[in-house]
Amino acid sequence: MDAVIEFAQGPLFRVTFGIMILGLIRLVVLDLINAVEAYRRAGDKSLAWTAAITKTVSWLFPLKRAFTQRPVYSVISIVFHIGLILVPIFLLAHIQLWEAGLGISWWSLPHFWADLLTITTIVTGAALFFGRIGQRSAQALSRTQDYLWPILLIIPFVTGYICANTVVGPATYQLSMLVHLLSAELIFVLIPFTKIAHCVLMPLSQFIITLAWKFPARVDDKICTTLKKKGAPV
Amino acid sequence: MRTQPINEQERERAFSSVKKPEVTERQQLDVRYHVEDHEVTGRPRAFLEAFAAILRHTNYRMALEHFVRVSAKCARCAVQCPVYQATNDVKDIPCYRSELLLSVYRRHFTMSGSLIGRLTGTGHLTDETVQQMAESFWNCTACRRCTIECPVGIDHALITHLGRFILSEIGIAPRALVVSTREQLEGKTGNTSAVPVPALSDTLEFLEEDMEEEKGVPIKFPLDVEGAEYLFTPAVSDFLMEAETLMGIAAVFAATGGSWTISTNYFDAINYGLFYNDRILERVIRKLYSETERLKTRAILIGECGHASRTAKYYVPVHCGGDQAKPVYNIMEYTYRMYKEGKLKLQPGTITEKVTYHDPCNIARQGWIVDQPRELIRAFCSDVVEMQPLGQDNICCGGGGGTVSIDEIRPYRTTVGGKAKADQIRATGAKYLIAPCANCKKQLRELVEDQEIDCEVVGLHDLIYKAIMFEGQPAEMQTAQEKG
Ligand code: SF4
Ligand code: SF4
Repeated sequence: MDAVIEFAQGPLFRVTFGIMILGLIRLVVLDLINAVEAYRRAGDKSLAWTAAITKTVSWLFPLKRAFTQRPVYSVISIVFHIGLILVPIFLLAHIQLWEAGLGISWWSLPHFWADLLTITTIVTGAALFFGRIGQRSAQALSRTQDYLWPILLIIPFVTGYICANTVVGPATYQLSMLVHLLSAELIFVLIPFTKIAHCVLMPLSQFIITLAWKFPARVDDKICTTLKKKGAPV
Repeated sequence: MRTQPINEQERERAFSSVKKPEVTERQQLDVRYHVEDHEVTGRPRAFLEAFAAILRHTNYRMALEHFVRVSAKCARCAVQCPVYQATNDVKDIPCYRSELLLSVYRRHFTMSGSLIGRLTGTGHLTDETVQQMAESFWNCTACRRCTIECPVGIDHALITHLGRFILSEIGIAPRALVVSTREQLEGKTGNTSAVPVPALSDTLEFLEEDMEEEKGVPIKFPLDVEGAEYLFTPAVSDFLMEAETLMGIAAVFAATGGSWTISTNYFDAINYGLFYNDRILERVIRKLYSETERLKTRAILIGECGHASRTAKYYVPVHCGGDQAKPVYNIMEYTYRMYKEGKLKLQPGTITEKVTYHDPCNIARQGWIVDQPRELIRAFCSDVVEMQPLGQDNICCGGGGGTVSIDEIRPYRTTVGGKAKADQIRATGAKYLIAPCANCKKQLRELVEDQEIDCEVVGLHDLIYKAIMFEGQPAEMQTAQEKG
């Protein structure tokens, strides 16, 4: 068991974490390449930067947005995201691992807050799952991955909490730790290839749509040629 | 605000079709709008070819690539869509509609999608999906309200816009729009309403006489003045249906001494290309621009028309030289500037009845024209109420995206598309509903009629005409105005 945990903590972690980072970089780079190409082709190069920045910021910190439409859902979703982002990065136990491995460290969450955020993430994650099941409009849109994600995401939180807080026997501890590691690593690998890619792509959205409405100049001729419609009546 | 879903009776009315069954059969297309006959066999293939050609020459691929990756399916946009609120049909959820096209893109134009599709032998575009898109993309009014509420930033109106573009390349587009545009680009009259030039000049002459009589000062519609500052083009339908709006605009120019002209060679700002085909949009823009070059005006001024203003403002630069292109303004910008500069005087308290202002999506959504008309209105109306939400978050009249010009779907527009708007209007209890847009005005008039709301729909300049004061105007005419 120990050997398996060690493997999950060491090589497997490095590989999966690397896949995530490289995968996400790839997505951003692809987006940027597309954007540069679109900008080059755009007939009008004036862009409403300020509006795009304002909108992006208002969604990154959706304090005002949250209460205008579907307030309950919005608050749940926001709380969920806060824990999801903060806990893995700022948990002391995680930082200690980074320090041991790479010698780097940073500010950590106080214990009380780490615990609280872990619990809120679990609770709101479950709420999102049940919300999706219970709501007609969400049901109509949901793919399998949409149901699975909230569940998969809270697994490392539940197991992490068990490892950190409860007095359990060594066997249970080891099992929890293994599940904790493997589920987190599964998440790492899946992120760049699923909707969770929005963690890096979402801040680019407003710029992409602003640019998308700037069409290339004079495409009529080109499309007509490709579709062999030249000279055809309207 | 939330709108209650329509009841069974309303549903029946909204979705009834006036199409002949044999036409539906022949065209294999069960949509409520009329479509010209087109090649029916092999539509999916033709659709994919058109899609590919468009992707190759435009910027849509960038947006689609991004959208297929970020779409979170959170259903938040559902609460924003007035159409879904009215029908309560999950097919009308913005993200559901967009997914129709996104899944075609994923399956046929991304590597992973086509690989999985080929391995499993599934997901190939079928004629059924083409028909679904033909129905769904024209149920949406392209109001872009959903876009402002999507946390991950998916622009459904862009997807609807593209979906309609591709469909029109294979012959599926509302006949009403296609026929009008054909007349505008290739017909004898060169405008969407087929107004001949003699009729235009007669109308304007007649209006000039009217105005002089009513205001006591000469007010002109200058025709074909080379070198004027503004080339003025309204939606051509204004010459037939919105005489009062035009009179108000002429009065503003007369009072402020502005230099403007109407071209008898081309006097239509309508651009249905925005609603169904980018190539058409480009052609209409170029036609408009060549007119301003011919008459050597400094700028283009669009009348009270939302979509015409948006297309000219955003696509003149795209197709006619970027930042070198001549500027485009909406008439309300001119009037507002004159008012601020003190050149335009409006009699306070001219209108004492309750008025409210409708934001046309195409000029309000991006925050372009929201406050200017309101300030003007407050200058001469004493009882102004607002609808909520408003401005950038406004609710569409229900006839957006070109649907207002499709007469055969009027029951749908006034029952489904305009339901939320009707609730809003009713709540204000306003006597005048000001809507500075030819499209909105037509839709709102039909809406208040069908929904039995006691309210008169007018343009902004219709009322400005009543409130405007001229230097040297006979005193008795000013007092006549004061009495409203
Ligand atoms: S709000 Fe955006 S992500 Fe959510 S369902 Fe609508 S389109 Fe999809
Ligand atoms: S653009 Fe308007 S009508 Fe169309 S889906 Fe979005 S909110 Fe609904």
